[in-house]
Amino acid sequence: MEFVIEHLQKSFEKKEVLKDINFTFQEGKIYGLLGRNGAGKTTLFNCLNRDIRTDGGTFYFSVSEGHRQTSPDDIGYVLSTPTVPEFLTGEEFLKFFLEINETTISSPKTPEEYFRMVNIEPEDQRKLMKDYSHGMKNKMQMLINIIAEPPLLLLDEPLTSLDVVVAEEMKGLLRQLKKERIILFSTHIMELALDLCDEIVILNQGRLEEVEKENLDSSEFKDKIIEMLKEESHG
Amino acid sequence: MVKAFRISYFLRNTYRVNSIIYSLKQLPLVGQLLPQALYASHGLKRAVNGVSFVWEIVSAFLGKFLYLFLMVWLPLQMYPKQAEPADVYLHILLLFTVIGAMMNTWIFNPTNDKYYAMILMRMDARKYTLSNYIYQMLKFAVGFLPFSLWFGHKAGVPLPLCLLFPLFVVSAKMIFALICLKRYLRTGISTNENLPGKYLWTATFLLLGMAYGLPALGVALPLEVSGAVFLLVTLSGIYSVRVLRSFPYYREMYQQILAEKRYGTDFKAQVRQVNKQQNEKYISQELDIRTDKTGFEAFHQLFVRRHKKILRKPVQRTTGICACVLLGLVIAVLINEPVRTTTNRLILSMLPFFTFIMYSCNRGTIYTQVLFMNCDHSMLTYSFYKKPSFILKLFQIRLRELILLNLPPAIVIGGGLAFLLYLTGGTEHVMNYPVLVISILAMNVFFSVHYLTCYYLLQPYNAYTDMASSTYRLVTSGTYFVCFLLMRAKMDTMVFGTLAIVFCVAYCVIACVLVYRLAAKTFRLRN
Repeated sequence: MEFVIEHLQKSFEKKEVLKDINFTFQEGKIYGLLGRNGAGKTTLFNCLNRDIRTDGGTFYFSVSEGHRQTSPDDIGYVLSTPTVPEFLTGEEFLKFFLEINETTISSPKTPEEYFRMVNIEPEDQRKLMKDYSHGMKNKMQMLINIIAEPPLLLLDEPLTSLDVVVAEEMKGLLRQLKKERIILFSTHIMELALDLCDEIVILNQGRLEEVEKENLDSSEFKDKIIEMLKEESHG
Repeated sequence: MVKAFRISYFLRNTYRVNSIIYSLKQLPLVGQLLPQALYASHGLKRAVNGVSFVWEIVSAFLGKFLYLFLMVWLPLQMYPKQAEPADVYLHILLLFTVIGAMMNTWIFNPTNDKYYAMILMRMDARKYTLSNYIYQMLKFAVGFLPFSLWFGHKAGVPLPLCLLFPLFVVSAKMIFALICLKRYLRTGISTNENLPGKYLWTATFLLLGMAYGLPALGVALPLEVSGAVFLLVTLSGIYSVRVLRSFPYYREMYQQILAEKRYGTDFKAQVRQVNKQQNEKYISQELDIRTDKTGFEAFHQLFVRRHKKILRKPVQRTTGICACVLLGLVIAVLINEPVRTTTNRLILSMLPFFTFIMYSCNRGTIYTQVLFMNCDHSMLTYSFYKKPSFILKLFQIRLRELILLNLPPAIVIGGGLAFLLYLTGGTEHVMNYPVLVISILAMNVFFSVHYLTCYYLLQPYNAYTDMASSTYRLVTSGTYFVCFLLMRAKMDTMVFGTLAIVFCVAYCVIACVLVYRLAAKTFRLRN
């Protein structure tokens, strides 16, 4: 399976944020999406999640049977600021999600098993989510987005404000999850991208470019990424 | 000190000019035509600077005129003729000035320009505060002077007191500032004008009541007493000047007053934060709230049960009030013949008036607002929640809930009207009874459908929980306006009731069809 974006465009007023996005993402990989502030990473994600209308272009899954348009079930979108329904307990939210998606979740586990995946303790499962910490809300959001096993997972700086322990847990979880799906991980932190991601993609002047690793060692690779990011500001 | 004032004035002016340009860009249609480069346009900045300067002068006078005219002069005209106008005028002014001295201090108002100047740009806090304070006090005194002379003369106040009044205002403010500074020296606690404590609120309401209430009872401070207070306060003001000038801890005090600004000076963000906290308070912490339902039914039932305080309690209160009014009317018509006749006549011709009553009783606005803030704001970020079948399923459940929620007052009002009609002698057309009950119930259903449909089709909020749809605002104000106009309409109950029922049924059918067709596309977070 591949996820293909062709000639995607999006402008705000006269500012062309996404000029001509063309890229093919491969199954089983985590892609680190790097770009400077205001480069349009969140706009790209919002377009792919159909939260905002694109001005042009298309995106689809390329599978052995041909092309397939994306549907809401295909995409999991984890925002940098976790949003969860705060009037529910973690347990109630998970139960609700499992009940309404029982026909689409292929191999459902028990709620306890799911909570174990993200290390949420039993006493926290029964707390209202309005009393959850930022990290716990983030875990819940991630959990809901991965249970249905969407083929495309969009992660918008999900680890930036987590403490080191939770961030390591989440990294481990993402590495387990990448099989049979495409993960697009946007971040400002280059070390995090290099540590976690299989490929690095730069959003540069409204276009996506892959950074070829070639035979570079990690320091040279970093320099190359920074050079490419700098080009944007001079462009 | 002059230099500090000049820098702070230009800083404040730049801030104000940029705020004006920002406001222009927020206007619907006009804002979209204005480019982002506007902030860098020197020509425009000069023009807005000019406007800002003129406004600085106009506001110094206009505000004082409006204050004296609306708060003092107009109420003065309503008091009984036997009250001495000069006494009442000064009585109100004196008490209002005390309120103003406590609630409008300038010095303890944590504004962004103070934060920028003293904290971010590290200006000398004492010089900044004193130079700006002198400017503000001068503005007060000069702004008040012409209108004090004018209104004072019209009220028959002696000229010396009219001249003394602006100094009295300034001195009263300085005395309150002095008290607060002394408190800071003693306790280390600074005063924040925007967070008046319960004592200050109580004092304000008491003074307000005394200012307007006592003259209504024919009691007002004699002119001589007011004059003596004016003089005493003005003289005490001179002492305050000395303390204000020598106070050494402005920087430390402002560090405390402006502490919250460290987390952002964006007013909108602060309002959002307050709204968020307010909405979170509506969520019940009771641990025994559970549901035996599943899926969306469980989801919604938990929502309603955990928001009982904001959803159910006000309805119970409204129903109780309606029932009490009904009981009162029942007693009145039973014991008083003219009331009985009038009530009968009104019930048979004033049904349009009840459109406004039903509009006011409906909880649709609050219901949709809480739905968004505490539920859809987060849920709409999940792809699964936006599946068309799920959106429609939840719409059905929510509509049923909203109709049921609004039902108790509708039953009391509809049933009550029919009962009152019977008690007051009945009607020639027996059909008036069912028409009364059904039309009131239909109005309940109509407003419920209307609010929820607008919410689903126009979903007015964005991810920051700001209301971002002018169409939605237009529709809600239009609804209010139509209902308000209907209050004055008089029409035969049978005719209006039948029309209302037909309209409500047709509207509900059309609205539901539109939701079924369009909600999957429209029900998402606005950009």
